[in-house]
Amino acid sequence: MVNRWRPATVVVMALLLAAAVYFLLPVVWVLVAATKSTADLFGTFGLWSPHPQLGANLGRLFGDGLFGRWILNSFLYAGAGALAATVLSAGAGYAMAKFPFRGREALFNLVLAGVLVPSTVLALPTYLIFSQAGLTGSFWSVLLPSVVSPFGVYLARIHANAAIPDALLESARLDGAGEYRIFFSIGLKIMSPALVTIFLFQFIGIWNNYFLPLVMLSDQNLYPVTLGLALWNSQTFRNPAYFELTVTGAAVSALLLVITMASLQRFWRAGLTAGSVKG
Amino acid sequence: MGPKIPRAARLVAAVVAMGLAAACGGGSSAPAGTAASGDPAQPVTLTFWSWVPDIQKAVDAFNTAHPGIKVKLETITPGPDGGYAKMLAAVKAGNAPDVAQVGYDSLPSFLVNGALQDVTQYAKDDAAKFVDWQWQTGVFGDKVYAIPQASGPMGFYYRKDLFTKWGLEAPKTWDDFAAAAATIRKKDKSAYISTFAANQAPWMISLAQQAGQQWFRTEGDAWKVTIDNPDTRKMAAYWQKMLDDKLVKTEADMSNAWYKDLQTGSIVGWIGGSWGDAIIRGNAPGTSGKWAVAPMPQWAGAAQFTSASWGGGSASAILKGTKNPGPATDFAVWLNSAPESVNTLLSAGYGWPSVKDTSQITNLQKDDTVFPFYGGQNIWEVFKQADAAVATDWRWPPVSDALYSSLTDNAKAAVQGDGTLTDAFAKTQQAMVDQLKAKGLNVVTGG
Repeated sequence: MVNRWRPATVVVMALLLAAAVYFLLPVVWVLVAATKSTADLFGTFGLWSPHPQLGANLGRLFGDGLFGRWILNSFLYAGAGALAATVLSAGAGYAMAKFPFRGREALFNLVLAGVLVPSTVLALPTYLIFSQAGLTGSFWSVLLPSVVSPFGVYLARIHANAAIPDALLESARLDGAGEYRIFFSIGLKIMSPALVTIFLFQFIGIWNNYFLPLVMLSDQNLYPVTLGLALWNSQTFRNPAYFELTVTGAAVSALLLVITMASLQRFWRAGLTAGSVKG
Repeated sequence: MGPKIPRAARLVAAVVAMGLAAACGGGSSAPAGTAASGDPAQPVTLTFWSWVPDIQKAVDAFNTAHPGIKVKLETITPGPDGGYAKMLAAVKAGNAPDVAQVGYDSLPSFLVNGALQDVTQYAKDDAAKFVDWQWQTGVFGDKVYAIPQASGPMGFYYRKDLFTKWGLEAPKTWDDFAAAAATIRKKDKSAYISTFAANQAPWMISLAQQAGQQWFRTEGDAWKVTIDNPDTRKMAAYWQKMLDDKLVKTEADMSNAWYKDLQTGSIVGWIGGSWGDAIIRGNAPGTSGKWAVAPMPQWAGAAQFTSASWGGGSASAILKGTKNPGPATDFAVWLNSAPESVNTLLSAGYGWPSVKDTSQITNLQKDDTVFPFYGGQNIWEVFKQADAAVATDWRWPPVSDALYSSLTDNAKAAVQGDGTLTDAFAKTQQAMVDQLKAKGLNVVTGG
């Protein structure tokens, strides 16, 4: 270990450290800012809170129950939406990988094209369709569009293609298992690393989606936390006390998202059957 | 969205333009709707979209006082943050609210988009209740589409304690303002009289509005754009000299640095809207009692006292597709003129009321949270005088968003030394002409 501190290593370390500071500084700032009053927010150094009042801020934040509701809504939209999207993607991707049918490639290309369309572009057309169906303003108007994930289908197909050996399916069929049983007890298990990825991506996507709930929802009680914080932030103009609430709210919601992601990451395991059939 | 707007919308725009100039009389063909506003057994239900804090209290008061109408408030994100896009989408989908919060500066674009309901027949007798210039913002070609709610008449907030210490008085004219700015620079190296907020288009527009000639009006079926006019050039040259002499700061207003400067006394004045009192009180609580408000400084030789309004203000617009235009108008008028409602909205900080007779608005007579912060001064007297001195001939273009972004870009460049402020307004003039033409509207220019 003599050449542990070669110049190249030092440079790489320094770059990585700079990157870490670059990404972590805003997080530290928002956590510190969450403990400040509005006056201190602008009057004092960003990374130090001379008169911390986190308790008071949190008390106000959760005081009228609205913020708690927004957080729960966000978890519901993101959790239920991501779960449904994962199941649908797994089914579609598995079918496209393992069952040859006419138009399969055309269908897959269509899905690929869907990956390229940003969800913001789709928000207004979706709104017009949903209003024909009388669904706007409801919980479903945000949840239903969230269960579709072209990227998820793409990833599931690629992964199923690579990870599920045809020989395994053949032997399952020989043993007398039906297609549904094969999918649920073999396919899903083997695809689980990809499925966790799809779930996490979709979860973050729904959580951060701003424009869809914006056009769909008109009832504050159904807002996700992103929309709620934007509403508060806009009111700082007339009532600066909302600065404290917005900043503390942003810190809490970021923290909750970090905790959620960290706890879901342990499901990210390497492929179960890598090299299990042929050796 | 293509570059061309639909033919129907273009027609509407043309009609609006004609009407503004040549008052084409009456002839409202809107169906009367259900006029069952007074029947408690069959209450009419209205939906109202707004983002004003605490407006629910005023809506509740309306519902209590009007058993025949039930208004349901839905709080949405503010117009510029996506609220307007949401409203226009809802109008297109046919499920728009009956009444919605729309800024004065956005009403023309709503009209061009065919999103406003003509309510002339229900509202024509209500004009006298409101300040003339505010009422006119909802009127296009003699037709009423929106009921004014509140504005932001301008005043000069200043640190009276420091002004007194330095032997200064509140500037009466813009020349006084420049002289005071120079004195402040001499007395305290770290202090400035104010910032020139190039980030804030509505603020710069209000300076131009006060200077004299207006920017937009209609001639025949064409929009006349006169941003680059002698009065605006005079104002621009004045501020350019202030920048050249380094008598004002150039940081953005309502930014972290600006809030901090208000707290520390590095910025000792602000030409701001009436709602700005809450911003100073909330962000610089440590300076309580040290502030005062004076009228906006005047141009030398002005025939009469003239003020302006920051970005106009906002209105309760009746949206296309409402089945109950009558009750919706009744609600919009009551919300913005009944003393109990105005008092409620005022304490929530919605701006300066649009009602003409403010003697019934008790919160304007005595305000124990506001006046002490300004050393006991009744600052509302200043803004009342200012609101009465806003030009009534100001018109917003149907492209306010583009106006704001163009003006901000050009002014920021000028502040950074790329050209002068006079150039910035000339460039904005050209950009607006292009923008209106791109919308398929006729445009004429001139001084």
